[in-house]
Amino acid sequence: MAAVSDFIAIVGERNTITEGSELRTYEADGLPGFRVRPAVVVLPETTEQVAACVRLARALGMPIVPRGSGTGLSGGALPVEGCVVIGLSRMKAILEVDLPNRRMRVQPGVINLNISRHLAAAGYYYAPDPSSQSVCSIGGNVAENSGGAHCLKYGFTVNHAVGATIVTAEGDIVSVGAHGGEPDTLGYDLMGVFVGSEGLLGIVTEVLVRILRTPQATRTIFATFPTTDEAGAAVSSIISAGIVPAAIEMMDQLAIEAIVAATRVDWPLDVGAALLMDVDGVAAEVEHTADAAIAALRAAGAIEIRSPRDDGERALMWKGRKGAFAAMGRISPNYYVQDGVIPRKEIVAVLRDIARLASEAGLRVANVFHAGDGNLHPLILYDGRIPGQEALAERVGGEILKTCIRYGGSITGEHGVGFDKAAYMGDLFTEDDLATMQLVRCAFDRDVIFNPNKVFPTPRLCGDRPGIYHPHAAELAEVAGRG
Amino acid sequence: MTPSSVEELSDVVASCNRSGERIAIEGGNTLAGMGVPVRAPYAHLRTASLTAVVEDAPTDLVVAAQGGITLRNLATQLAAHGTHIPFDAPLAHQATLGGTLAAGWLGPRRHLYGRPRDYVIGSVAVLADGTIARAGGMVVKNVSGYDMSRLYVGAFGTLGIIAQANMKTTALPPHARIFIAPLPEGTRRRALASVVSLRIAPAAAFWVEGFHQSIDGEDGHEGRLIVLLEGSAALLERSTRDLRSALGRAGVPETQILDTGAREAFGRIVDAYVSCLGERSVTYRISAHGQSLVDRVLAARLLADRFELRADTLADAMNDDIILRVSDLDSHALGAKIAMFDDAFHDDEPGATVVAGAHPQRASLNVWGELPDAFDRMRALKARFDPNGTLNPGRFIGGI
Repeated sequence: MAAVSDFIAIVGERNTITEGSELRTYEADGLPGFRVRPAVVVLPETTEQVAACVRLARALGMPIVPRGSGTGLSGGALPVEGCVVIGLSRMKAILEVDLPNRRMRVQPGVINLNISRHLAAAGYYYAPDPSSQSVCSIGGNVAENSGGAHCLKYGFTVNHAVGATIVTAEGDIVSVGAHGGEPDTLGYDLMGVFVGSEGLLGIVTEVLVRILRTPQATRTIFATFPTTDEAGAAVSSIISAGIVPAAIEMMDQLAIEAIVAATRVDWPLDVGAALLMDVDGVAAEVEHTADAAIAALRAAGAIEIRSPRDDGERALMWKGRKGAFAAMGRISPNYYVQDGVIPRKEIVAVLRDIARLASEAGLRVANVFHAGDGNLHPLILYDGRIPGQEALAERVGGEILKTCIRYGGSITGEHGVGFDKAAYMGDLFTEDDLATMQLVRCAFDRDVIFNPNKVFPTPRLCGDRPGIYHPHAAELAEVAGRG
Repeated sequence: MTPSSVEELSDVVASCNRSGERIAIEGGNTLAGMGVPVRAPYAHLRTASLTAVVEDAPTDLVVAAQGGITLRNLATQLAAHGTHIPFDAPLAHQATLGGTLAAGWLGPRRHLYGRPRDYVIGSVAVLADGTIARAGGMVVKNVSGYDMSRLYVGAFGTLGIIAQANMKTTALPPHARIFIAPLPEGTRRRALASVVSLRIAPAAAFWVEGFHQSIDGEDGHEGRLIVLLEGSAALLERSTRDLRSALGRAGVPETQILDTGAREAFGRIVDAYVSCLGERSVTYRISAHGQSLVDRVLAARLLADRFELRADTLADAMNDDIILRVSDLDSHALGAKIAMFDDAFHDDEPGATVVAGAHPQRASLNVWGELPDAFDRMRALKARFDPNGTLNPGRFIGGI
């Protein structure tokens, strides 16, 4: 196959995947239910190799699907037929640590948690902490503008990834945002729009991240409530009082049950909801903020408020929370995770609506989410062996998104639009809004070579040129035959 | 033209775009000294009548307001329920929300509270063809589609006019305190180093030389240190102790403390960033990140001295920003030297930008410093958003 040998010439045989079982890994990401076999997968090791692969794919008329660790939950790395998947997992070097300027330059395949591990001894860390942080990559985080529990206080990837080297649709290597120690660069905020662009504007091959000093003190608070109503009201009152914990996570009864079953946490099972909070900062401020938060929890009707006995228990509590999705396996054969955002004052009302939707559908929904940000993660539990249940779960998920929109919210807070939610973009934005976003895409990738069929609800071209030719899989098979 | 609704704004812009008329967008005119004036001829479009607070949700810590509202009016409304947005932009009574965002203003407290753009959660922009484009929303976390609002921030209106911005707000710090101390030459490096490494970071810290008319305070001729502390009473008590002992160790003489009027005093420092002496001055802003702040201030002052220009400097130690205002006795005297000074200064500081100065020669200076690596991509964006060059043509970097 001519194409394959050309890719091998760039990245080497070891880094080119064309065979069945190995290729299968790349047929899907963390979004269940969809699989598409790519024509070829390449795993470049350098920026120049990425650029050469992009130029080759372009010359061959192959769409390109960039991929980090493949943990994304919206199908952002789902291949399209006949595409080349450019996986960044071999680019995992930490290139530079600049403590005086609080910057670190890394390759995109570096695992999120490894940045903080690398810095721990020096007393620094990287703030965005998606629950998948032990496996997701920083490049994927940039593509998705990933969040995490502690983003409530510290902001999202867009606030911490300050510069990048990207490979453009033409195969050029361009630096965007900050690239040295300087805090801000001149011109349009390309880095700001690149973060969260879901692989549609280019491939990130180096990331410059901001690192923070490890807080002097952290206090973790765990509080239980009779129902999600009181827990939701507690969150709203903490936010409206201007108290800023580092994180406020909510778990309902089902989520607690799953977490307890999967870990050794001794959380009570006879409560309707729990909040897990971190308050951090300088010691003087932590006590002040924690006291104010505890008063708000009490006033909202908390049953029990406690703090972990030691760092070990604290770590266990957070491990429980961050492993909540996986823990669903303890209480249900399958689950479908949704990601929506609502104004924080609407938590109680929206959780009630979700419960009603679930009950009408005859399914259970567990809720475990970033309550401080209003970022819901309803987990719709179903049994895939029962015909029709998977589709039903997806329908309930869709109804939940529409509920979020109705309350003035959004269809995704951190998992991205990807393939999964492209159809809902039209519910959130007008045609003019979407056409304006398309202007950005066309300025970066006028032939729509990067990650086609993602984010936007209908296929779009850029007007001044015909779109790139996407060969059918069968055609590619024929190409293979010619090779 | 002073449209009073977003729809009217859209009609006006669309009509100009169709007829080939260029538009110069004007907010509060407080940051007009940044960048290059719009290429004439043009029609003036003022946002002064777009002043509504569209949605105020204090319990959710979000607010949406039209682009023409002044920062002071917005701040007054937010302060009524104990919140604020730390814009730290000069002349808040005149500066507008849209203009401040469009200019990408960066203030001295951003190291602690983040940049204004970090508070933007959504926007309504009017594009060159009159399209009313919404992005983001009223929620604090949102990754639905491209983060378009970020593109309008810092774009100087060249991609679209910020008709409305949706912003996060944050609790107003309950207490503020300002320290003023003389900063004799021998204490500078140690004092500044100790202030920036305090465990409880000050909200702002400046080393000021000059700017006497703009900033109150007894400073003699040796310059002065001004530190702003903010937070709860307990935090302020602790940080005051820490700061006093750090400055004492650095050899800084007795400090003066200002509690009443601390915020006003801070406001005057921010105003000084763009304070002009008519046509007698030009003000530069440079970022000293990663280099010695003191060395770069001294080098800039020395260079000004070589050209027999008066130098006023304001060094923001927490963000490593330097404001340098060079001036002369009259406009002619400045005019005779400023182009040569500008060249020499950019040899040392290629990233220096001009932020204020009404001198006729301003447009011929290197007001933006060196162009960024991704400039071609920026030009491509402009071509997509505003193919006729209707919005603020020539105002931005590289003639965009």
